[in-house]
Amino acid sequence: MITQEEIHEYINSIPPSPKILKEVLSHLNTGELSKAAHSAAEDPALKLYLQNIVNKPIYSFKNDVKDINQIFGILGLTQAKQIIYNYMISLLTPKKWELFDLNDKSFSEIQDNLSVQWKKVLEHKNIRDNDIFTSISLLPASIIVCEALFKSKQDNVNLLRASNDLDYNTILQRLSGMDLYDLCYEIAKAWELPDITSAIVLASKGDKENVNEEIQTLSKWMHLLFFYQLSQPIATSAGLNDFIEFNIEYVQDIYEEFQNLIMEES
Amino acid sequence: MRAIVKNRIGVFSLQGFLDGTTAPTMLTMEDIKATQALNIDMLLVSMKKVVFFNKNGLNIFIDLLHSVQKKSGTIVGLCDYDDKKYAAIQKFYNSNLNFSLFRTHKIATLFSASMQDKGESKKSILVWHEDPSQRSALAIELFDRGQNPIVAQSQKEFDEKKTQEDLYEAVVYQTFLGLLGSKIATRVTGNAIIYSVGGFLDAEISDSFDLTYHQNSLNVGFTLFIFDAYKVVSMNIHAVNFFAKLASSGAEYGANICIVGMTFEKTPETFKNELEDAGLLFFTNMDDILKDKEMLKELGGSGGATAGNKRALNKVLVNELPRFISATVNTMEMMTNAKAEKQDASVGELSLQSTKDKLASSIGFYGQLDGMVILVFPLEIAKKSCELLLGEKTDNIEEILDTLAEFVNIIAGRVKALLAEQSISVDITLPRTYENVDDLLATVEKRKGVQVNLNFEGEGFTFFLTR
Repeated sequence: MITQEEIHEYINSIPPSPKILKEVLSHLNTGELSKAAHSAAEDPALKLYLQNIVNKPIYSFKNDVKDINQIFGILGLTQAKQIIYNYMISLLTPKKWELFDLNDKSFSEIQDNLSVQWKKVLEHKNIRDNDIFTSISLLPASIIVCEALFKSKQDNVNLLRASNDLDYNTILQRLSGMDLYDLCYEIAKAWELPDITSAIVLASKGDKENVNEEIQTLSKWMHLLFFYQLSQPIATSAGLNDFIEFNIEYVQDIYEEFQNLIMEES
Repeated sequence: MRAIVKNRIGVFSLQGFLDGTTAPTMLTMEDIKATQALNIDMLLVSMKKVVFFNKNGLNIFIDLLHSVQKKSGTIVGLCDYDDKKYAAIQKFYNSNLNFSLFRTHKIATLFSASMQDKGESKKSILVWHEDPSQRSALAIELFDRGQNPIVAQSQKEFDEKKTQEDLYEAVVYQTFLGLLGSKIATRVTGNAIIYSVGGFLDAEISDSFDLTYHQNSLNVGFTLFIFDAYKVVSMNIHAVNFFAKLASSGAEYGANICIVGMTFEKTPETFKNELEDAGLLFFTNMDDILKDKEMLKELGGSGGATAGNKRALNKVLVNELPRFISATVNTMEMMTNAKAEKQDASVGELSLQSTKDKLASSIGFYGQLDGMVILVFPLEIAKKSCELLLGEKTDNIEEILDTLAEFVNIIAGRVKALLAEQSISVDITLPRTYENVDDLLATVEKRKGVQVNLNFEGEGFTFFLTR
């Protein structure tokens, strides 16, 4: 159904990160917000994306901002970087979603919800590392990869899933030896994202034991946060609730803390 | 969300967080209706991967399930929960629990209206519930489905017995029977199908008897049907007519219908004579049939030929042959990521060079087109074909046979979809598997069909389409 060749074809089709985005990220890495804003202004699509993002209620900014310098100033280094990564991932989304009932708006809403809640988690854990902060941006790439690989195989998958409790990720892993998390890792590699970003996402599949304690703890929070999002109406109505398997045992020890932090406040 | 339907039990496997906001989009009435259309006996929501739930969320599901139960009599409830979740459910509903709870999916299958009986090799089932009336209800229902329940009379006794879990087929606890279905319980023992009936049999038997299942069983080659009637007090003329009609409709297939354990203390003897004239057979004990090999063979319960079913292949079926082959080849390729190739085709009886180290599965279809697809696999190919569904290699024959049943079910599902594109509507029967291919050969003896030999990574497997 899905062969190794198709997987390699997909990996090879991942476009390099656009030059302007590289420049923006490079300036953000050296702490030069105004230079980053200047570079970003050269890409109208990115500019529009940022204008839309900061004016969303979820980011709780009081004033309607249009100026790109002002936007970067409001966001600050860490959040600006995370939003740039979200934008990069959104470049991979299909023009028309076929497998999942999504569109640009709903996909972006899932990204935003994850970003805002991940920020809350890291603040709670007193973690200020920018690369860890941005790692959440890579996670929704799993949805895009799943759509790309399975959209033409829906009939086969439906037949398989009619009588078997198999999620897309498991089918992919059993057929090709690679899963959606591995393919997120390939995207991170192609875009030269920091190692820790992909390490946390890779560990969040819940079967890695040979990772350091910090990555393992963060991966548990990421796993649970992802499934919190995949339980929300926007994701369930898109058919995302069971596209990947929830490893309930993996998150057992952080569940109560998660409940107090995320669920009590929402 | 789509339910997973296996052995006529539909299960919705939800993941994550379930509350009043998330529940309505997780499971909708459309999802339920689509599942019901698949002719199920039981509809459950699995709590296995639900990390959080509250009463508001659960209530939305329970209301949907109740509406199904009311309309169709399907058994509804929750399954796959741990101690903590069970305690929460108990707390939420307390004495108002009016749906069923099954600690595991495996336990739920024991209470399904139709189940596969393991015959004499099966072990007992340990049963425990704090409430004595639930304890009895669990034991009675299990017994009616051909199981051997052992009821623990105290928590202490249960705890002691549970330490030796290996001694039991299953341990039934933290399980509650709400409203059970109104369908007559059915079990399959070897090549016999046993229906359990009780009380006063009247016109209602026509509603509670699953005629579609019975017809499917005839189509797929079963010829021995036994009514376990030990608990029947009496019957009226409507029930007599029902049995007589069943016997005459089964005659075309060479089916034998037996009634076991029925006493005629409160039923006129003339009814018995009428039924015997219609072709029904009466036995005092179940063992008079199941343990008498000669009798079993004579009645068709040993997998022998179905004398009444030698219908010829017809042109319509042969015309659709390419779709059947294509469905088989595509499914093989989908499940294994390897190429399957057609070798040769012939019309005649099923012919195999050897039956050693082979397994087989079959599935019937009926409607605007009827027939049966049979697949014979070399053991190694069977194992490989099952890897995607099992997720690992296995030598466990029972697991392989179960998965082969799934496999042939997927093929039939694909055929159904392909035929629907041609506006040909068919339904499919439950799949059947054969550990001993000689049993299959005996079942299809003298039946003509189209045999296609296929090659899969150097080894051959056989496709046979017959009526």
